[in-house]
Amino acid sequence: MAIKKLLFASLLICSMIQSSHGATKERLFTDLEKGALEITATPSRTGEGVVLAAGIDKLSITWKVSSTATKEPEFKTIKVKLCYAPISQVDRPWRKTENELFKDKSCPHKISSFSYDPTVKTAQSFDYTLERDIPTGTYYVRAYAVDAKDHEVAFGQSTNQDKTTNLFSVQAISGRHKSLDIASVCFSVFSVVALLVFFVNEKRKAKIEQSK
Amino acid sequence: MAHHNEDEGSIGTSMHGVTAREQVFSFSVQGEDDGPSSHTVGFDDPTAKFALPVDSEHRATAFKPFSFAKPHMRAFHLGWISFFTCFISTFAAAPLVPIIRDNLDLTKSDIGNAGVASVSGAIFSRLAMGAVCDLLGARYGTAFLLMLSAPTVFSMSFVSDAGGYLSVRFMIGFCLATFVSCQYWTSVMFNGKIIGLVNGCAGGWGDMGGGVTQLLMPMVFHVIKLAGATPFTAWRIAFFIPGFLQVIMGILVLTLGQDLPDGNLSTLQKRGEVSKDKFTKVFWYAVLNYRTYVLFLLYGFSMGIEMTINNVISEYFFDRFQLELHTAGMIAASFGMANFFARPLGGYASDISARFFGMRGRLWTLWILQTSGGIFCVWLGRATSLPIAILSMMLFSVGVQAACGAIFGIVPFVSRRSLGLISGLTGAGGNFGSGLTQLIFFSSSKFHAADGLSLMGIMGMIFTLLVAFIHFPQWGSMFFGPTSDEKKSKEEHYYAAEWTEEEKRQGLHEGSLKFAENSRSERGRKAASDGSSPSTPPENGNPAHV
Repeated sequence: MAIKKLLFASLLICSMIQSSHGATKERLFTDLEKGALEITATPSRTGEGVVLAAGIDKLSITWKVSSTATKEPEFKTIKVKLCYAPISQVDRPWRKTENELFKDKSCPHKISSFSYDPTVKTAQSFDYTLERDIPTGTYYVRAYAVDAKDHEVAFGQSTNQDKTTNLFSVQAISGRHKSLDIASVCFSVFSVVALLVFFVNEKRKAKIEQSK
Repeated sequence: MAHHNEDEGSIGTSMHGVTAREQVFSFSVQGEDDGPSSHTVGFDDPTAKFALPVDSEHRATAFKPFSFAKPHMRAFHLGWISFFTCFISTFAAAPLVPIIRDNLDLTKSDIGNAGVASVSGAIFSRLAMGAVCDLLGARYGTAFLLMLSAPTVFSMSFVSDAGGYLSVRFMIGFCLATFVSCQYWTSVMFNGKIIGLVNGCAGGWGDMGGGVTQLLMPMVFHVIKLAGATPFTAWRIAFFIPGFLQVIMGILVLTLGQDLPDGNLSTLQKRGEVSKDKFTKVFWYAVLNYRTYVLFLLYGFSMGIEMTINNVISEYFFDRFQLELHTAGMIAASFGMANFFARPLGGYASDISARFFGMRGRLWTLWILQTSGGIFCVWLGRATSLPIAILSMMLFSVGVQAACGAIFGIVPFVSRRSLGLISGLTGAGGNFGSGLTQLIFFSSSKFHAADGLSLMGIMGMIFTLLVAFIHFPQWGSMFFGPTSDEKKSKEEHYYAAEWTEEEKRQGLHEGSLKFAENSRSERGRKAASDGSSPSTPPENGNPAHV
């Protein structure tokens, strides 16, 4: 049957996709060197209860390799990511923290990625404007040091181990637009009016028919 | 032949054509009607200028799916595509949930509750739809649903929080009642001998919309993003597509469609005798028949599970296997698309088993199909690798969708008088089951989605055991044969029991008796050796698919 062929083909394709992921499944977060990178993230607006606006506000990120880092020769690339604080993970299993790096979903938003220059020993910084697809939530910043095989070897984060300090809140854009609202109303009105026009018209035609 | 009722039956009694085994034509047409959209054909001219062969009521006796001829095939295509469009709209949010949940800051409970809401509205709208079609005709019934729910689809652009999301999904869900209007329409257009196949195709192909939307929405979203919109705006724009489809279909239905083979409701004169039953009686006999409740629950765990999967499977694959949005959508789509052949297959299997084992065969077929669906659902939840998950999902889809087809192989035999209402109630049971399973398994953080799937499969298998309780005195049940009582083992006795003596004296039960005669085929091979059954071929094939 065609279905059997289709199933078999999809099985083949999927097992190929499967095997390409196989190599990364076993690497654990706890194996990474903690605190190898010292990183701070300063929002452009600070204060009690300040909520940053996505698409508008910036983070000023400063990082440097810690003097205690042992795996420093392996560093090839630094990947900086925006991560969810525990409070933004509640009742949201798609943001769960997992030890297996492959499965971990707590740091989905890429901030920046650049090659590591071992000759520069001082702190470097750059600005990052919060992207417009960042959801509402509470965040911190984490940087992974990645080796030549594209495997993470060390990390550093802007908050403490329990992820309770130096967190900042972001408010997402609403995604709504006035033009969209207007278009929506127009089409809705058109739909209802068109229906009524047909209906009334037909009733009138029927009445004319009957009176003939 | 039509009987005149003193109490002109209340609106909605006829539920005409919800499964369409009715022989009696609800509206008699006599006619010099010469409205602009009706045929210039007299009622007593059987060789009317129709593209398809017709019977004396001008209902088509042949089914040509590639034809768009007026009025029959056109009604078929307009009907099933309208239903298909509404399935697209109702489940349009599902594949986009990974984006929507970020935009609206939704929690798992918010998403689950919205899913429940999306299927709950139709429980009521499906029950009311029969009445609406009686009043306005199938054309306006369909068009009203399409064009009045289009604004709800467009209003996704206003949604900014969980509450708004839930309300909009709830309102969109009402349009799933197009199932009823679609089946109603095909039933007035097609003869009872082929209505099983016609309704099966209309129902199955309409259900495919739940699969197509998983493919369509991520694709539309992707294209809109490429055109420059940010994700949180792009998904809102994407909802305009199902909205447009609904409006376009509504206009097509009104301009190209026709209520009845001979014309439209408002231009035809309703003369002649109308046979409409009393709603209270129809309701009473439906409520008294315990099989109604069994079917309600059984359908809740076949169609109900199917609709739940439509709502959760895309997000499940996205999250569990770290796929791209449109990849997850593709996989989810294949679940719903299997409806194209799986439902008719279930009905066909039911018919074949009835040929050999009668009604007992149908019941066993249903149990086997629905239970295997449940087993594969459990397997899907347990699967940790993508290929296994896809394989189990496909087997699961065939099992559960074929079970839907098989249930409607049994529904027409449960009651003759209350057939329409019981079919509507069974359909509503599907929505109820979907709401229930989403509420229990996918709305809280108590279970992982994977466990939710497995537990849902187990719950489905438990409830499927209820099939064993469907017992017909004249045909038996899964474990017991027909009763040995001489009187009770006659089909006539079962179907005539729905009429009071007074009604029997008036001869109102004639239709039921005729049906009883035809249903003797449900004895299986014994019917042939019985000798007492007439040679009229019974109305096999599958009636309405919800």
